[in-house]
Amino acid sequence: MLVASAERVPAQTLSVSGSPGLLRISNAVAGSEPISVSNSSTTYTITTPNPNRLYNLTARLNAPMPPGITLSGTFAAPPGATSLGAIALDATARNVVTNIPRRIDATLGISYELSALVTAGVVPNGSRTITLTIVQAP
Amino acid sequence: MQARHILTAVMLLLCARPAAAQVQQVVTFQVDAINQIAFSGNPSLVITSATAGSAPSTATAPATWAVTTNQSNAKITASINAAMPALVTLTVNLAAPTGATSTGAQSLGTVAVDVVTGITQVAQGSLAVIYALSATATAGVVASTTRTVTYTITGGT
Repeated sequence: MLVASAERVPAQTLSVSGSPGLLRISNAVAGSEPISVSNSSTTYTITTPNPNRLYNLTARLNAPMPPGITLSGTFAAPPGATSLGAIALDATARNVVTNIPRRIDATLGISYELSALVTAGVVPNGSRTITLTIVQAP
Repeated sequence: MQARHILTAVMLLLCARPAAAQVQQVVTFQVDAINQIAFSGNPSLVITSATAGSAPSTATAPATWAVTTNQSNAKITASINAAMPALVTLTVNLAAPTGATSTGAQSLGTVAVDVVTGITQVAQGSLAVIYALSATATAGVVASTTRTVTYTITGGT
């Protein structure tokens, strides 16, 4: 009876609307580095449970970007949390949103920006898997 | 005692929640070959004087250019849309961006000539261009006229 009446603590959940389309750099102003491109077509949905804890959202790539190429991600913050703005992504998990409070149920925008130096040269079509993780704030 | 252990285990399972929730996205990307050049200025060149006993003095005019390429070993060629009048010569001399080579002052004609070679993965502006107009005395008086100089970046790999 005691087991049956115990309240289950809901877990935090995270989902994304899909993957962004191809980020393709193809132009420059003479004398300047290539023009960056961006994609803001995807969102993430986050829910946090009731316990009075704070959470962070981290992002990491499955492999580093090629030399001279930078992929940055900007993740909008739910109410009460803080977006860290454009974060250059690499193979290390990095905070992108911090201090996400409890009882959040929100869908928020993701923006990716690809930039390249001329020294990167021509880069054929490639991909990286981005892992987003909710972790308890320290 | 055994029942208490089972009860505790069930409660722990019910209260347990993942330490983290994860999702993944896939980002695809590419960088195309990029070759851009730009020139500023519409220089005017007028020969108006000479030192007695010498050919007319050469007139010069400055301009600037800029380049961005993410390829290797590209070059800039230059040509004009129509031949110069007889005994009148228009030359151009482009400063080279870092790592490239200028071919120095080149006489311009309707056939493209190399003016900068070995341009590799560079983005640089405010590079000097010097136009020079020279004429021999036998060219006579030449009325005001214009030529369009066409610059092309080619050959990068």
